[in-house]
Amino acid sequence: MAPSAPSLQSRLLLTLAVLLLVAAAAAAWALDALYRNLGLRALEDVLDAQVIALISTAEIEFAGQLVPQNLAEPRLATPGSGLYAEIVGSQGTWRSPSAVGSGLNLAAEPLPGERRIEHAKLADGTRVLGLSLGVRWDPAEGKSRDFVIRAAQSLEPWYQQVLRVRTGLVTGFILLALLLLGGLAIALRVSLGPLRRLETEIVDIEAGRRESLGTGWPRELSGVTGNLNALLIGERKRLERYRTTLGNLAHSLKTPLAALRGLIERGESDPQALTPQLERMQSIVQHQLKRAVFGGSGATLIDLGVQEPLEQLRSALQKVYADKPIKATIAVAPGTAYPIDAGDFLELAGNLMDNACKYCRSSLAVRATPWTAAEWRRPGLVLEVEDDGSGIPPAERAHVLERGVRADESVAGQGIGLSVAREIAAAYSGTLEIGESRLGGARLCIRLPGR
Amino acid sequence: MRLLVLEDEPALRETLAQQFRVSGFTIDAAADGVEGEFAGLEYPIDVAVVDLGLPGRSGLEAIRAWRKAGKTFPVLILTARDSWQEKVAGLDAGADDYVTKPFRFEEVLARVQALLRRSGGWSQPLLKCGAVELDTRAQEVRVGGAAVELTAFEYRLLEYLMLRAGQVVSKSELTEKLYEQDFERDSNTIEVFIGRLRRKLDPDNRHQPIETLRGRGYRISRD
Repeated sequence: MAPSAPSLQSRLLLTLAVLLLVAAAAAAWALDALYRNLGLRALEDVLDAQVIALISTAEIEFAGQLVPQNLAEPRLATPGSGLYAEIVGSQGTWRSPSAVGSGLNLAAEPLPGERRIEHAKLADGTRVLGLSLGVRWDPAEGKSRDFVIRAAQSLEPWYQQVLRVRTGLVTGFILLALLLLGGLAIALRVSLGPLRRLETEIVDIEAGRRESLGTGWPRELSGVTGNLNALLIGERKRLERYRTTLGNLAHSLKTPLAALRGLIERGESDPQALTPQLERMQSIVQHQLKRAVFGGSGATLIDLGVQEPLEQLRSALQKVYADKPIKATIAVAPGTAYPIDAGDFLELAGNLMDNACKYCRSSLAVRATPWTAAEWRRPGLVLEVEDDGSGIPPAERAHVLERGVRADESVAGQGIGLSVAREIAAAYSGTLEIGESRLGGARLCIRLPGR
Repeated sequence: MRLLVLEDEPALRETLAQQFRVSGFTIDAAADGVEGEFAGLEYPIDVAVVDLGLPGRSGLEAIRAWRKAGKTFPVLILTARDSWQEKVAGLDAGADDYVTKPFRFEEVLARVQALLRRSGGWSQPLLKCGAVELDTRAQEVRVGGAAVELTAFEYRLLEYLMLRAGQVVSKSELTEKLYEQDFERDSNTIEVFIGRLRRKLDPDNRHQPIETLRGRGYRISRD
């Protein structure tokens, strides 16, 4: 056995798991980036506010140095608070008490009116975000001077927060993905349930615990199960037929075989004496073969248009009965089609039409019409063959249909056609009725039900 | 009458050829579809018996090829499977009748004779030309109701002419149709046989059933 392909469920789950992971990772990455951008923007705003606060209180002292007169922000006064400020001018540098000894070294030297953001590190490795603003101080008296006002804030607490958010995002998304996968697995189990049931039932059929599939299938599967059942029933009927045929064949060959043996044991010397037994065996074989050929109904059959085969049969029969001028009319209702094996249909119609040709005086009529019923999705077929012969008396009708059913009571060529037609009809769950025709002779009517 | 047997099974082919020969036919035998197709196209065949279960080129194709080439000689098919599908396929391809295997030779012979009769335009097995009556089933000849004894060859000659009643049949056609392929052909023999036939059918020289058309051949009229 070839290695079996991965199950539908694992295929679906694997694909979905990969998709979910990719989607979750992308979403987490996007959210993380968004959060960091927003966070940095907020930090910049804080630094802007600090710088503006410094400017608002700063004044130039005697040495030409710009110094804030009071520190509104207490963190600037506390060493190691994480918020630092300095004002750099040509005459010296002012640093907030918090920045003393911190090793703050922002490098940006913006021109007056220019604003620069930079990432830097303190002496102890603390990462900071720095903002430098160039200003030109124009006092009422004296000449104007340029300064750079800087504020910086430690990023460490923010980095910790980013990390926390990131962890939260990742765990959240992993949980979400797992939850979705679990849900999908359950959904798959539920929706693939009928398929598993189908599998079990087929295994049961193979093991002989069950004859056909049960009922109550979802709409998507009902076509398949219906066809499978039809196939199973067709196969079973065919098997039964083969069994019967084989039984009949073996059984009916016994008598002529015994007769032959008797002739040999008697020391019969004339080969002609064997002929009747040989002919009998020949007719038995022929008879049983004829019964075994037809295919029978199955799910694999496609609709067969009946007009063409009926016309083929008519022209074939007109050749065979060339000595007898026969007028055969064929009337097929438009669109009449039925899912039947082409060979079976030819056999069915051929036997009926052959019979009609044999017994008619000069004309026969063939009519095919669809047979509709409310419970069928596809219509059945009614095939009528009438002739103007002398008809079949009611008392003989049952006998004609049964004729040759048992091989040992048949005579070759003696109307086995009708009983074969009846058996083919039965293989399609149909019937053959014998009645009287308006033309004066027999009316043979095949009814094959729809599905 | 020249008959083509197209049958792949050697025993059956030989048996059929032998039986037809005994029944007064000139036989061409072919073992496969290609050979059979050639024979049907090239030889002056009057009727063919074709087995449908041939190997290689099938019998159906041979029949189609003959019909396509405008050959109108009647064809009888032998079918192994007694199914209408096979019969319809054969008759549709251009065959004229069928016999199902296994068969009795008498049945095949009767069908072949009926086909020949029909292709000659006769609808009854009893051919009647004026006072001469020929029963194709019993192979008997009567003139004015009295039986006439004919040899096998004379019977075949008369049957051939009567099946083509109203048509002129040339001496060369008669030699072709009534002698096996490898026979020495001598049209004088035909003249001799026609002479004998005339004496037997019309000892008093009253009806003169067989006309001679100088340089063209012979003719029997329907009435």
